[in-house]
Amino acid sequence: MKRTTGIGLVALLVLTSCHKDVGDDAVQTIADTPFALQLPPGFPVPVTPVDNPLTTASVQLGKALFFDPRVSRDGSISCASCHFPELAFSDPARVSVGFEGRTGFRNSPTLGNVGYHTAFFRDGGVPTLEQQVIAPIHDAVEMNHDINLVAALLRNEEPYKRLSQLAYGRALDAWVITRSIANYERTLVSGWSRYDRYLQGDLTALDEQELRGLQLFTSADLNCTACHSGFDLSDHAYHNVGQYLDYSTDPGRQRITLQPGDVGKFKTPTLRNVALTAPYMHDGRMPTLKHVIDHFASGGLPHTNLDTAMRTFTLTDAEKADLIAFLSSLTDERSLDQLP
Amino acid sequence: MLRIRHFIIMRYTHIASFALVVLVLAGCRKDEPISPTPVPPVATTGKLRLTLVPEWEGQPMQRFTEYRNFSDYRMTIELLKMHIGEIQLLDADTEAFLADATYWDLGNGPVSQEWTVPIGSWSVFQAALGIRPELNYADPAAYGPNHPLNVSNGTYWNWATGYRFVMFEGRYDPDPASTATLISAYAIHTGMDTCYTDLDLTPSTPIVIEGDSTTEVVVRIAVDRFFYSSTGSIDLATENTAHGNNIPLALKFTRHVKASFSVQ
Repeated sequence: MKRTTGIGLVALLVLTSCHKDVGDDAVQTIADTPFALQLPPGFPVPVTPVDNPLTTASVQLGKALFFDPRVSRDGSISCASCHFPELAFSDPARVSVGFEGRTGFRNSPTLGNVGYHTAFFRDGGVPTLEQQVIAPIHDAVEMNHDINLVAALLRNEEPYKRLSQLAYGRALDAWVITRSIANYERTLVSGWSRYDRYLQGDLTALDEQELRGLQLFTSADLNCTACHSGFDLSDHAYHNVGQYLDYSTDPGRQRITLQPGDVGKFKTPTLRNVALTAPYMHDGRMPTLKHVIDHFASGGLPHTNLDTAMRTFTLTDAEKADLIAFLSSLTDERSLDQLP
Repeated sequence: MLRIRHFIIMRYTHIASFALVVLVLAGCRKDEPISPTPVPPVATTGKLRLTLVPEWEGQPMQRFTEYRNFSDYRMTIELLKMHIGEIQLLDADTEAFLADATYWDLGNGPVSQEWTVPIGSWSVFQAALGIRPELNYADPAAYGPNHPLNVSNGTYWNWATGYRFVMFEGRYDPDPASTATLISAYAIHTGMDTCYTDLDLTPSTPIVIEGDSTTEVVVRIAVDRFFYSSTGSIDLATENTAHGNNIPLALKFTRHVKASFSVQ
């Protein structure tokens, strides 16, 4: 009997020593799934890189990182510090405040529909959403950190440890951080505004004033749609709109291409949620939509590279109010964030 | 009686088991090899060590030491980093490619890197100051922690894809008579395809690589010559910042850096 008990104990010990940790087991048995991205009617499916499919775990991981201030050197600044979810992931500050109160020289844009862009930053200097992630983490005036140190800090913590394995089959590192945050940003789709409902046939979605504003917006006189067109109300191209005579403090696209013909050109911003994304222009110099309209009505300051689409026009105060009312109808009626 | 028999059987069983284990273990032992006459392997490779030595007017460069530059400005050096790529040895018939990208932090003095190279006599040793476009614009997140292009080295140009080929930073004062603390900062960073240029590291005699030994090539970098060359000079008072936004200065600086290399 005693011998039987002894054998039983040994067997039990052997079996329990072979038992996997619950966490490991969960990672190995639960498969990641494609993320069920919701798209507004008529929107194309955003292109994702072959090495970074849009999966639930990758998006969850990216969201956790996006809101974690430990991606900054002093643990005070997250991506959301300059991309406020309630403001369509834009920043109300003229230029964002980063590490130790340092400021940059451009306004943080909305991230709505950023998954449809083919180049990033106001000058298009970075070619992929994945590579874009590195910039704010390393920039001395933003997070002033090192993405490898961020990975080392968070690698063994949950949910990072579990989600990183689940989404990418590897521990959290620079590759995983860039991929996952990019994927979360790809899910920030904007296209559920009253204007969209109007386009889909709900003729009551816009009121009289907004309809008058829409007419102005699409008129040849104002020529807004020369650049603000398509489902994202942007051509995602680069234009000089005559904001300055001298662009030496920020030459825009020329900083990347080095071509004189690109001085003062900046990427056309989307107009979606534009009522939430003040201040405006690449450097946040214009505090209200009225300032922006007045600038475009002036035809812009003269410059060699001034876009040919720029032309003067005149609007009454009432018409400006109509145009602003229409622009306000471009605000999404639901959160851009598709993760609960 | 039965218990005694049982005890004896158990004891013999244990002894037999023990003997069996010993036999098995002994059986696992390898036979002593019949040693043939040893033939020493013929070495087909040796090592090449490249050492970069930053100097100021022929003396070892020291960070934070106050120097006088070409314009007689008081100045210090706080940071000197560079990427050298496409390192290769050439001979009439063959070539040996050593590295497509290397990283050198020269702020603390000489740095060496080594490669395994086929034995032989090599007449040309060439490289490039910078990173070739295919690598320069690749995703830096793909490079591991010890890779020369890892972003932790601080040379990646965050706002635009690509690397800074040379980073040269410090402080200066254009008043040679002043004794005040140096405050004004300079930061000259080269990069982008326009600053990518070849480097000839060939010594006056062929580089001979012998089996199982290391041959060293020492390249001295005259940092004081970063401010002038046969094609012009740099006045820190007006030319103190190149960060992708001052290509003329970056190009001029690149020419000076290239001219500052001398090979032993």
